[in-house]
Amino acid sequence: MFLPESMSRIVIVGANSCIDETTEVLYDLESIHLIDQTVDADEGFTLGTPRPYSSKAAERLLKVRGMEKDLGINKHTKTIPISESEIRSQITSDSVESIEKEVRICLDRRNDLNQRITDLNAKKKNLELLARLPIDLDMYAGYRTISSLVGTVEADPTKALADMGEVYASIDKKQGSIVAVFVKNEDKMKAQSILSEHGFSEIVVPEGKGSPKAALDAVNTDLDASNKELEVVQKETEVLFEKHKHFLRASDEELAAETEKGTLPIRIATTKYTFVIDAWVPTPEAAKVKETIEAKVSGVYVEIEEDRDRRQKSSDEAETRFKTVPTKMRHGKTTALFEYPTKMMSIPKYNEVDPTVLISIFLPLFFGFMVGDVGYAIPFIILGAYGLKFAKNPDWRAIATVLFFGGIWAFIFGFFFFGEALGMHFIGHYEEGAVTYTWAGLLGLDNLDNFFGSFLMNGHGVGKIDAEYVGMLLRLSVYVGIVHLFIGYVVAIYNKTVQLGFKHGFLEKGGPFLIFIGVVLLGFALGFMLIMTDHALIEPLHFLGLDLSIALSFTDDQLLYILGAGIAIIAVGAVLVAKSEGAMSILIETVDAFGNILSYTRLVAIGMSKAGMALAFNYIAIGMIAGISPDPAVAGSSGILLVIIGFILFCVLHLMIWTLAILSGGLHALRLQLVEFMIKFYEGEGTEFTPLKFKHIKTISNKNVKEA
Amino acid sequence: MAAAEAAGMIAIGAGLAVGLAGIGTGLAQKDIGAAAVGAITEDSKMLGKALMFMVLPETIVIFGLVIAILAIFTM
Repeated sequence: MFLPESMSRIVIVGANSCIDETTEVLYDLESIHLIDQTVDADEGFTLGTPRPYSSKAAERLLKVRGMEKDLGINKHTKTIPISESEIRSQITSDSVESIEKEVRICLDRRNDLNQRITDLNAKKKNLELLARLPIDLDMYAGYRTISSLVGTVEADPTKALADMGEVYASIDKKQGSIVAVFVKNEDKMKAQSILSEHGFSEIVVPEGKGSPKAALDAVNTDLDASNKELEVVQKETEVLFEKHKHFLRASDEELAAETEKGTLPIRIATTKYTFVIDAWVPTPEAAKVKETIEAKVSGVYVEIEEDRDRRQKSSDEAETRFKTVPTKMRHGKTTALFEYPTKMMSIPKYNEVDPTVLISIFLPLFFGFMVGDVGYAIPFIILGAYGLKFAKNPDWRAIATVLFFGGIWAFIFGFFFFGEALGMHFIGHYEEGAVTYTWAGLLGLDNLDNFFGSFLMNGHGVGKIDAEYVGMLLRLSVYVGIVHLFIGYVVAIYNKTVQLGFKHGFLEKGGPFLIFIGVVLLGFALGFMLIMTDHALIEPLHFLGLDLSIALSFTDDQLLYILGAGIAIIAVGAVLVAKSEGAMSILIETVDAFGNILSYTRLVAIGMSKAGMALAFNYIAIGMIAGISPDPAVAGSSGILLVIIGFILFCVLHLMIWTLAILSGGLHALRLQLVEFMIKFYEGEGTEFTPLKFKHIKTISNKNVKEA
Repeated sequence: MAAAEAAGMIAIGAGLAVGLAGIGTGLAQKDIGAAAVGAITEDSKMLGKALMFMVLPETIVIFGLVIAILAIFTM
C-alpha cells in the first residue's frame, strides 16, 4: 500500500516467425512494461524493423481517418460495435478501399459543386453590378484601338475622365458603385492613374453576349440547379455516413492497434532469426505472465531474470537500461482518487513511499477542519458526489474528490465540534454586546438545546472567533502540525532505510528528525515556563461526544529536564545534519522545524477569517430580513423590500464565502501536504508503469475473442 | 484612560501585523503570479502547479494574522 508494486524483469526470447503471435499476447496481458532496446546495447543484436503489414495498415488508417473527417464522424459518433473477427476479415478483403471509392465519388462531387457554387456566386455579384450599366456584355472587349476599364469605385470619376473618353457610371453608396471607361489605348495608363485616385478596383467581365440582365438570369438558374444538386449530394453523404460509420470507427480502432503492434519490433532486439524482449512485469503476475506466454505461443521462451528489490545498490549496479524501474501505484478505488495531487508533484520512485494514502487521509481532514461548517459542507458533498459521478476530466475529478471527502469532514467538524451552519451556532445564548445569531434563536426552536447541548463542547460548540477558544484552537492546530510533520520525518527515515539500510538511512535523515523532536520539546518547555505561569495546561476538548481533554502540570525541575532534553536532542541532530549536509543546514533545519509547525496555524486562521466574514454578513443580511437585533429587547420589523434585498444579500454573500472556501481551504490543505509534509521525504521523478495495451473505445465487440 | 489607550495600541499593532504581512505577501505573489500566468499560457497543464506556487507566500500573511489574533484575544 505504501511502497509501489514490486517489479520483476523478464526476458522473452523467440523465433522471428512467431513475433506477431507474441505481440498479440503481450498486448492482451496488459502488464508488460517494455524496456526499449538501445542501439548496440547487446553485441550481435540490432533493432527490429516494422512488420510488413504495418505500412499497409498505416496507409489504410490514413484513408479511414480522412474519410471520417470528411463525413464528420468523430469520437462522439455513436456506433454499434462490430466483432473483431468481422472487422478484420472486412479489412483484409479490401473494404477500406472499396468504401473509399464509393465515398470519394460522392465527396468529389460535393467538392466540385461547392467550387461551382462559389464561382457562380462571384459571377453573379459582378453581373449584378454590370446590369446597372446600359452596355451589352460583348461590347466590353474586342477593340483594336480602344481599351475598356471596368470596376468598382469609391467616388464618381466621371468629371475627371470626361475629356478622355466615354464613361458610364452608376454611383450608389449602399450597393457599391460601378464604372466602365472606354479610352484610347495610349490614354489607358493615364486613365488608370486617375481611376486609382477614386478607389478603383477592377472586376472581371464575364464572357457572353447580350445584356447582363439576361446573363444574370442564366446564372441564377444555374445556381439554383447547383444548390439543388448539392442538397441531393448532401443527402447521399448522410446516407454514406449512416451506412459506414460503424465500419469506419471500428476499423479506425483496429488499424490504429495494428499499426502500433506492427511497429513494436523497432523497440526490441532482433537477430536474423530471433527476437529478444526485455520487460518489467509486476512481481505477483510474473509467473502467470510466463505461463500464459509460453502456453499461448509455442517456440517462445520466457525467463524471469530478477525480482528487483528496493536497495539503491541494486539499481546502481544494474545495466543502464535496467536502472530505472517503473512505478506502479497500488491503491484501492478510493485512494486512487488522490493520486492526482501526488502526480502533480511527480511520480514516486520505485523505492520510496507513495504518499497517496497519507494525502488521502490528511487532505480532506484539513480541508474539512478549515471549513468546519454544516451549511457549507452539504453543498460541498453534493457537488463533489455529482462531480465524481459525471466528471471525466481528471482535473475536475480531483477537485470533486477533495470537495466530497473534505465536505464529509467539514460536516463532521461543523456538526460535532463547532456546532454551526452558515456561520451561526445551532444553539447558544445572547451575550451582552455580541452580535451572534443562533439557529435556535432565529427559528424559535428551544428543543434544539437538549439535542445539541448533549454532545457539543460547553453546551454550544467551539466558537471560531470567541476569545475563549482562540488559544485552544491555535494550540490544537500546532499539535496537528506536530503529528503530521512527525509522520513526514519518519517516512523520510523509512525511505532511506529501504534504500540504504537503517544505519545509513538514519545517518542521512535522522538529523532533521532529531532537531524537530528537540524543537518540539524546547517549545513545549518554554511555553510552560513563559506563558503558563502556573505550569499547568488544561485543554478541554470534546469531539464526537468523546472527552479528549488534556490536563498537564509540571514542576520547575521537570520542565528544566524537558528543556535540557530538547537542547541535547537538537545538539545530536545538529551533529548528524552537519555530517550529512554541512554545518549551514543546521540553521536551516532548525528554522524549518519552527516555521513548519507554525505554518499549521493556518488551519485555524483560515477557518477564523471565514467565520469572521460570515458573522459580519449574517449581521447585515439577517438584520435586514428579520429587522431584529440580536438583543431581544430591541425587536422590530422591516418592509418587504428590505426582506427581499436581505435575502438576496444573504445568498450572494454566503456563496462568496463558500467559493472562497474552495480556493483557500482547498489550496492551503493541499499546500500543507505538498510543501510542509512531502518536502520532508518525497523525491519523486519516477517513471510511470505504462504496460502495452489498447484503450478499447467500444467500437469493437470482444465477444468473439472471449468465445475463442 | 490608560486601559483604552492600551486597547487602542493593541488594535493598531494587530492591524499593522496583518497589513504589513499582507504587503510582504503581495510583493512575493506579484512576481509569482506574473510568472505563473506566463507558464499557464504556454502550457495549461501547469495550472495546478502554478496555483500551488501562488499560495506559497500566503504563509507570511497567515503568520501576521496569527500574531494579530494573539494580540487581540490573549492580551
